[in-house]
Amino acid sequence: MRIRILGNLVILASTVALSYGMQVSKPHYADLTAPIPVDGAMHDTVRARSFDVRLDKVVFARQLKTNQFGQEKSLTTSGLWAVVSTNLTATAASTTIADGTWQGPTGLRYRQTERLGYRQDMPPHGVDPGLEKRGLFVFEIPSDQIRGASLLISARQFGPLDAQARISLDGLPTGADGQPADVLPQYDLDAPQAQPPQGKS
Amino acid sequence: MFRTARSKVQTWITAGAGTIAALFVAGLMGAFGALPAHTPPLLPLDTATDAGRWRIRPVRAYVSHARTYGVLLKPGQKALVLEADMTNRTARSDKAYFDVFKPDGLALADPMPMIALTRDGTLTPELHPGMTERMAYVWPLAGEAAVPANLSFGVTAEIFKPRDNLYGTPGWFNPYRLGTITLPVADVPAPGTGP
Repeated sequence: MRIRILGNLVILASTVALSYGMQVSKPHYADLTAPIPVDGAMHDTVRARSFDVRLDKVVFARQLKTNQFGQEKSLTTSGLWAVVSTNLTATAASTTIADGTWQGPTGLRYRQTERLGYRQDMPPHGVDPGLEKRGLFVFEIPSDQIRGASLLISARQFGPLDAQARISLDGLPTGADGQPADVLPQYDLDAPQAQPPQGKS
Repeated sequence: MFRTARSKVQTWITAGAGTIAALFVAGLMGAFGALPAHTPPLLPLDTATDAGRWRIRPVRAYVSHARTYGVLLKPGQKALVLEADMTNRTARSDKAYFDVFKPDGLALADPMPMIALTRDGTLTPELHPGMTERMAYVWPLAGEAAVPANLSFGVTAEIFKPRDNLYGTPGWFNPYRLGTITLPVADVPAPGTGP
């Protein structure tokens, strides 16, 4: 009699423990439907589902110079401006690439800035298959979020189960204190860029 | 051993059943709603306060009669402006700061303020984690509206839930009044383009 009660208690306790363990180890719905990362390094072409992206250059600056509605504006920030130049192509059909996020070493997510308004070379980038296009992503980041950071690029901001290019930014030159090696006092977004030659015309 | 414990429990339940039932029925009938409400505290002005996803530090409040940080006013209108340093405490860029401050006891045409970054007048930019920016909350008022010399603003905060009840995703929910700030309101006359 005593044995049977004890046995039942053991079965009950183990069932409770098992159920609790299953409950706490259950993956989040947000994780189950999260974007699927496609990893890559700087200067490599990362092939996401609907687009290819290659990170060419990252420039840090204290101020950004831009032209808004015919007015020259100088934008300041409490951290640093990071101007990321990428080379974008669509894989199969014309599409748009709208979302860029700077993910710091501890996982803080800095979305692309909205302070520049509409510009031709800013997201959303319309891309076509076979045609390479230079696309900028501009971020405001604190200077301690540079070492160990990665760049997340996806077609849409909320794209469950869609591919997300995750480019590791380990190749950025930083000093011993994690500060970037080269910070420009001002970066002109409208200055002509040195374009690599793209075929004959 | 089991027998004595069982009888003890039975005694406790029998003796307490009436009390439990009375509390339960009183709760159902809303008797506890008559308890004195907990008044939200007065928040300090000289230090930053954590209000849900924002760390806030109010700087100054004034009434402006001209264009302020790029916010245009209709003719005959004036604007109540509150400037505050805001820091994003969350892990991602966010712009859900519209309901953080609300002036008490003023008839507002539109309770939703215009919010501008004081650096360059960008309207409602996203604020990034850990980067403090000074934001100006601008409420347009009718030109003849009286604004007291000392105005209190209600501060609303939200709580973080690692899993919400519908999708199990993390988020900020259940806004509540965290407290009140009281600021002197200066009157900035019309000429010029605001301070």
